Amino acid sequence: MRGGDYVIRRVGFALLTIFVAITINFFLFRVLPGTVVTDLARVPHATPQLRHALTVQFGLDKPKWEQYLIYLRELARGNMGISFATQQPVSQLLLNDLKNTIPMVTIGTLGAIVVGIATGILSAWRRGSVSDHLSTNLAIAFYAFPTQFLGLMLLILLGGLLPTSGMENPYAGVFGTQSTVARLQDIGLHLILPALTLLLTLYGEFTLIMRSSMLETLGEDYVLTARAKGLTDRRVIARHAVRNALLPIATLVALSIGWIVGGAILVEYIFSWPGIGQALWQAINQRDYPMLQGGFLILAISVVVVNLLADLAYFKLDPRISG
Amino acid sequence: MRLRTRRIRMALAAPLALATAAAVASCSASGAGSGSSGGVLHIGTTYPIDSMNPFVAQSDYSYAVYEYVYPQLVQYNARLGIAPDFARSWSVSPDGKSWTFHTVPHARWSDGTPLTAADVAWTINEVMKYKNGPAGQWAGLLEHMTGATAPNPTTVVIRYSTPVANVLAQMQSMSVLPRQVWAPYFTGKGSGLKTFPNQPPANGKPMVSGGPFELVRYKANQYALFKRNPNWWGPKPKIEGFGLQFFSNADAMVQALKDGQVDFVGEYTPPTAVAALKKAGFAVTTTPSISMKTFIINTNPHKTTHRELLDPRVREAIEYATDRSQIIKTAWLGLAAPGSTIIAPADGSWHDSGIKALPFDLAKANALLNAAGYKMGPNGMRIAGGHPMSYNVIFPPDERGTGDRTFQIMQSDLAKIGISISQQNMDDSATFNAISHDSYRTFDMAMWDWVPPVDPDFMLSVVTCAQLGNNSDSGYCNSAYDRMYAKQSTLISTSARRALIGQMQRYLYAAKPYIILDYPDIIEAHSPKWTGFVVAPVMGSVNSLSTQTLLQVHQS
Repeated sequence: MRGGDYVIRRVGFALLTIFVAITINFFLFRVLPGTVVTDLARVPHATPQLRHALTVQFGLDKPKWEQYLIYLRELARGNMGISFATQQPVSQLLLNDLKNTIPMVTIGTLGAIVVGIATGILSAWRRGSVSDHLSTNLAIAFYAFPTQFLGLMLLILLGGLLPTSGMENPYAGVFGTQSTVARLQDIGLHLILPALTLLLTLYGEFTLIMRSSMLETLGEDYVLTARAKGLTDRRVIARHAVRNALLPIATLVALSIGWIVGGAILVEYIFSWPGIGQALWQAINQRDYPMLQGGFLILAISVVVVNLLADLAYFKLDPRISG
Repeated sequence: MRLRTRRIRMALAAPLALATAAAVASCSASGAGSGSSGGVLHIGTTYPIDSMNPFVAQSDYSYAVYEYVYPQLVQYNARLGIAPDFARSWSVSPDGKSWTFHTVPHARWSDGTPLTAADVAWTINEVMKYKNGPAGQWAGLLEHMTGATAPNPTTVVIRYSTPVANVLAQMQSMSVLPRQVWAPYFTGKGSGLKTFPNQPPANGKPMVSGGPFELVRYKANQYALFKRNPNWWGPKPKIEGFGLQFFSNADAMVQALKDGQVDFVGEYTPPTAVAALKKAGFAVTTTPSISMKTFIINTNPHKTTHRELLDPRVREAIEYATDRSQIIKTAWLGLAAPGSTIIAPADGSWHDSGIKALPFDLAKANALLNAAGYKMGPNGMRIAGGHPMSYNVIFPPDERGTGDRTFQIMQSDLAKIGISISQQNMDDSATFNAISHDSYRTFDMAMWDWVPPVDPDFMLSVVTCAQLGNNSDSGYCNSAYDRMYAKQSTLISTSARRALIGQMQRYLYAAKPYIILDYPDIIEAHSPKWTGFVVAPVMGSVNSLSTQTLLQVHQS
């Protein structure tokens, strides 16, 4: 397949996927029973007039198809709407949530990728050894741990040594002075437990896949040839095995990176991290359609774009596709 | 169903007497003393401020913040009586339609602008213009109100079309807004009223305040920090400031207290944490609350399915099969009181103590059902109208935990009288939708809760026909009850109103749209380094009822 055709087809498919996601996002949440008016109109001496006023304000009195067309039109103008619950612009709310989420989830996810790949390589290299058994079993154990359980254990065990909630010490800069370095240090300390929880729950998957991929690669003829040429183990692993074994893990890495903007709701919940995961969970409970549509749109776009990049990388890396 | 305390916070026996500032001092809580001044109280809560805009906010702590940053004409004292706040005294006209409040002279907002009775009248009149639109959340506070005038800077007169029993409770819930900030939004269709974020401006200045504290920094879902208002016209707080830090879950909040990240944890400290906190040396306070857990039975007379639930003997049998002692012991670890009527004992004299809940007696429950002709089927389940007596119980997230254990106890006991119940979990929006679906004709049972305001008017209103589709979660509708409800809301005489409200409670208890299971205690804990907390039966110490706690709290 020619490179240009391949890129055009993948980009076209990505755009179609995003459009389908936009449409599903719109209708999916409206299928849920109850609306935001149900919550907001339950005030003392609530009247049918108040319910009607809220319904009109949110445009919920219009037919679904009309709401859908308005949504598409506003989206095309870059307007994600106003949150039903907070009455603030969705784009601004999501931006704030993303700013909180991305550093924590990125550190946790990238840490998991690095640790997972490294332990996978070591396990495969020392196959059958004590370190292999230990590493593999630990990876399986952490992979199997429910996130909330692991997070709570870390919170209880390390509470007092490390901050267990929030993103910063809110008081330092207001009821006293705080240097920039001290503030960065404070934020860093607050990051440790949530990022560590995420790292531990994610890394096992990478370990197991990398180990399996490496073992497959180490059995290939070209690795045997390399050994026969008298190359050292380290050189065989680094130059011949790892590079080829990384190919299957590229998809998993892409998926993980794509999900970074989706947050990590359980980790955010345990460590009171005000990220996008919690915001979307709250929006579901409140039937806050604009927030849900905006949040899931960003999530869909990020997953699709990162997968597109992974596809393009495959084209470059795997001669079977480009050839 | 949680009704946040802001929606009508009070009115206990609202005395019509003139009150004085001394009343506040005389009602000070125990523990308040001459401790060391200064310090910043770090407060943890699992209920974040959802908005700083009072026309949008739903959260308890949003309304607690308004209590501290905006003036209210009156507030509650520690005995749930009405005490002066921005109004130092008040009187009512003989026809009960005109209320005159005399406000604090020479008061100022935090930005130096004079704070006068004209601000009160302006707030009321502007909100009235938009009460059927963007200011709809305040409509309940303005019921029957026709307008307000300020004949001089320290007098405001509020007029009503009919006598209103709970005017003082309404005024306790209504914040006076700074005109210099809000006037631009009370224009046109008032669309800006709800979109104005009402937060400290980006220039680093605090939000304009007329209460004892001013909001200096706010980060949504993270924290809100307050410092003393330098222009505050009342007694100076002993603390330099305070912060509200928001936690996603109670476990993390309790851990933060143990680690010293917060000094005080308020509303909804879990009962399971009490023993460990006490052992660790923290001061744990438990106090009866006016909230209640309810077992709801659909009493809508137009119910189309399982109409045997409309039979009073069935509902009575279910109450006989409800083991409240076991529920309190197992689900609440003893930190709740047994339920009876929809006005909790903690609500003072509004509660009718003559109403005694039916005792746990399975033999009597079985006898009632036998006498009513509901025969036991072959699988141990009774038959009613040709179908087994088996029902779904709608179960919202608010009930998880203690509610799960309560349900299991009830399920086990009801099985012994031939009634089967199963849990139907759903979220809050879906719960109300399932209950009110098809005009309350199809649902059978539900478990939920109420966290009502202090004044009984709201709690009594939720079972009126007018609230079907709004606040009604039982489908109950009875014209005789509605007439009593309408009458109590106009009785200016406290004793007459109390007598009628007692009669209404007895009427409802007999009808049993709810089996009131229990009244959970307020549980809160704080570091022994602090003292001076004034616990209220709603929200605990830091609440939307009064400013007492944060004016008095100090380091030990």
